[in-house]
Amino acid sequence: MFKELDPILHSQLRLAVMSLLIGVKEAEFTYIKEQTGATAGNLSVQMTKLKEAGYIDVIKQFKENYPQTICKITPVGIAAFEAYVKALQSYLPK
Amino acid sequence: MQEKQLSEQESLLIIQQMIGRARNEFVDTGIGPILWGAVITFCSLFQFAQIHFHLHPPFDIWFLALLAIIPQIFISVKEKRARRVKGWDDDILGYVWLCFGVGVVLVNVINNVASHDINPIIRQYREMTGAEVGNFWTFGTAYLMFVYGFPTIITGASRKFHLMTVGGIVCWVSALIAAFTPTKFDFLLMAVSAALAWLIPGIILRKKYLAQKKQGNV
Repeated sequence: MFKELDPILHSQLRLAVMSLLIGVKEAEFTYIKEQTGATAGNLSVQMTKLKEAGYIDVIKQFKENYPQTICKITPVGIAAFEAYVKALQSYLPK
Repeated sequence: MQEKQLSEQESLLIIQQMIGRARNEFVDTGIGPILWGAVITFCSLFQFAQIHFHLHPPFDIWFLALLAIIPQIFISVKEKRARRVKGWDDDILGYVWLCFGVGVVLVNVINNVASHDINPIIRQYREMTGAEVGNFWTFGTAYLMFVYGFPTIITGASRKFHLMTVGGIVCWVSALIAAFTPTKFDFLLMAVSAALAWLIPGIILRKKYLAQKKQGNV
């Protein structure tokens, strides 16, 4: 029986962001941008969608007089990611 | 990377790739372990030579370990500034090493107070009976190596760096052996422990870090 895949996560960039954040406590926006190879604008749009879904927290602050954006996955995001991976497994040949 | 719908295989590939990249970010620069491994190994070997050749230098070589705190502070601040990702266990490991630092100072203070009180009694007993009894420092080094093992094993195990875990276990085994060997050889055991726990793992970490840096992964 195939389980439905979470549409928020089932997109290339949003899944990449969540996969990066699942392994760390928090990461800077610039790091995520570098690792995903996405443009700042596109990444910003996708991260807003993840934030609206409650999957990530975005904290804007200053570090040594420069603006810094910190992103971290939320407990809701962790649960959604785990459910997504579980659902994905049902599609794979056994 | 663009916004597009994915096949299940593509999803799995992205998850694998990204988790792997996040893991690469936790490659230690290796400078800290190299610094402390080199300093403690050198001081221990110097102390061994001092006892073996009956040398009386006008300084205490262990002040070098105190001086090493200064570059360590600079290294820690620089690495913290450069780090763009924080791992789940970063804070915990930070506290573990902070407790280790405090623990080493406490053990040294307690050892010095104990040796100050106990060594004269042992010396008197030795003179009276002619028995070959070591002074307090025969056991003091064992306590220190026991403390060295703790954070090393925890860091090695949590970062899955087996060589460091083995180095920490060597510290504990050395602590046990040091309880039965003369003080002079305790310092040789300490040199081996520091080299295996920090210096050699540090060099390996450094090589790994430089290789990753060359590839542009860190």
